[in-house]
Amino acid sequence: MLIKNTWDEALVYRLNFILWRVRVVIRFLITYFLWSSIYSGNQQFFGYSREMMLTYVLMVYLVSNFVFATRTQNIGSEINEGKLTNYLLKPFNYFISLGARDVSDKLLNFGCTVFEFAIIYLLFRPPFFFQENLGLIILAVVAFVGAVGVYFCISVLLGFLGFWTSEIWATRFIFIILLDFVAGNFFPIDILPKILSQILMLTPFPYMFYFPVKVYLGQLTTSATIQGFGVMAVWVFLLTKAMFLVWRKGLKVYSAEGR
Amino acid sequence: MVISVSHLSKTYRVAQKEPGFLGTLNSFFNRQYKEVHAVSDVSFAIGEGELVGFIGPNGAGKTTTLKCLSGLLYPTSGHVSVLGFTPFERKNTCLKQISLVMGQKNQLWWDLPAEDTFLLNKEIYEISDEVYKKTLHELVELLDVADVLKTQVRKLSLGQRMKMELIAALIHKPKVLFLDEPTIGLDVIMQQKMREFIREYNRRHKSTILLTSHYMEDVKELCKRVIIIDHGKIIYDGLLGDIVKKLATHKKITVIFESDVDPKQLDAIGEIKEYNFPKVVISVERGASNVAAAELLQKFPVADINIEEPDIEDIIRQVFKGKELV
Repeated sequence: MLIKNTWDEALVYRLNFILWRVRVVIRFLITYFLWSSIYSGNQQFFGYSREMMLTYVLMVYLVSNFVFATRTQNIGSEINEGKLTNYLLKPFNYFISLGARDVSDKLLNFGCTVFEFAIIYLLFRPPFFFQENLGLIILAVVAFVGAVGVYFCISVLLGFLGFWTSEIWATRFIFIILLDFVAGNFFPIDILPKILSQILMLTPFPYMFYFPVKVYLGQLTTSATIQGFGVMAVWVFLLTKAMFLVWRKGLKVYSAEGR
Repeated sequence: MVISVSHLSKTYRVAQKEPGFLGTLNSFFNRQYKEVHAVSDVSFAIGEGELVGFIGPNGAGKTTTLKCLSGLLYPTSGHVSVLGFTPFERKNTCLKQISLVMGQKNQLWWDLPAEDTFLLNKEIYEISDEVYKKTLHELVELLDVADVLKTQVRKLSLGQRMKMELIAALIHKPKVLFLDEPTIGLDVIMQQKMREFIREYNRRHKSTILLTSHYMEDVKELCKRVIIIDHGKIIYDGLLGDIVKKLATHKKITVIFESDVDPKQLDAIGEIKEYNFPKVVISVERGASNVAAAELLQKFPVADINIEEPDIEDIIRQVFKGKELV
């Protein structure tokens, strides 16, 4: 009986796991084929060639699975169900535990993604641009780390809303939908009207992946790269400050309920 | 003083809603809040090694006070100090020396054997292998749970789980221990074992323990000193024996007679509370109880006689009903 239960549990988990990966792949394939068909007649679109656009879409898929893999969406319920209490009572840092959980989630996600990417690559032979310039690769890695930081802070901040309200998913959904458009998830931001994309570049959103992807592809001018890193650094700084500030404020109203 | 609390207040803001759809709409646009004073102007101090009972009805503010003491809640006003630290700052040196156990909630990992949680705590509290082994062995011995140490927590009975909770909370040998309803939901035998353990632990380690409970037995057996709280205010702080003396003006004499007696004759001795031949319960004034007993033995055919203090529960009930404690 025990063995059977354990198997059932593992299977439920496995099925869940597979379905989740299928969802991720389908989402990618939709975007991929959408752009692929748009380009069927034309050679150029918004200054992007077919190869460039498809590389961008593939990159989005690779990067988003890494940057957006997180466990921080549970913070809200941890607060509201009083599970936070267990962390607070012990002499260890809640942020470190959040970070550790995120790293493990990201690794799992990234491992799967690389595997799926290899399959997709072999099946469709999409045009993919492998960056060979070491300097750009290093810059891109730095940008990715920054992207992870920006997303982590924002996601944690959204979770901390749980200190004040017991329903935190509404704001998170708005954020997720917003992300798809303004972070460059569906399309690169520079196909938008110039003024709009310039405004967007001042918000933290594009730095969660449009920017690092563009750095990797080497499609930014030196000044745009420097400016990008500058704005990103400011956001990382501000968001980190905000995160700790909100944490301290939140703890003051924390009522440790549910216990 | 290990624990000192002065003028502690904690106020929650709670949203209020009229019942029904109109109430919901109204609450959406114009939300009303009510201030709930969970604890107001509470002061007390507890010395090292004391085992103090903290009692009061539901919602009196016991748990809120414990949460303030363990650093979970930020006091609205007042000052709290535990081992010289301000708990809310949650300094690691402070957290390593305190522990909070709540009877209704678990910190154990549900799907893993309890021992895994202990190991995790060992890492968190940075306990050396040697000390860990020794402490665990001692606790397991005291609580008699060696055989279920490797069983998944979800498969444990409530009593076994509660014991594991205690081990998890004590593995770092806290100097200060807050126990919130540690015996809730346990059967009588298990409650008794829990009490014995708490008493033994307090004796061995000279740890300071603040305990809340609804079961007066817990308090009666464990605590010399009690703090009684109601509606967020302390209404008594002192020896349990003193309240009993103050409020229990009468003692209860239970007599079993060998043969029939005239109840009218018994009236002279005290107030008859229960007449159920051969058993009679008489209430007599405290000071006169010995005289009354002697008189009973002399004048009546007594098979058995027993003089008791009134139930502590009755006394505490009187306190909550508003009897003045001067």
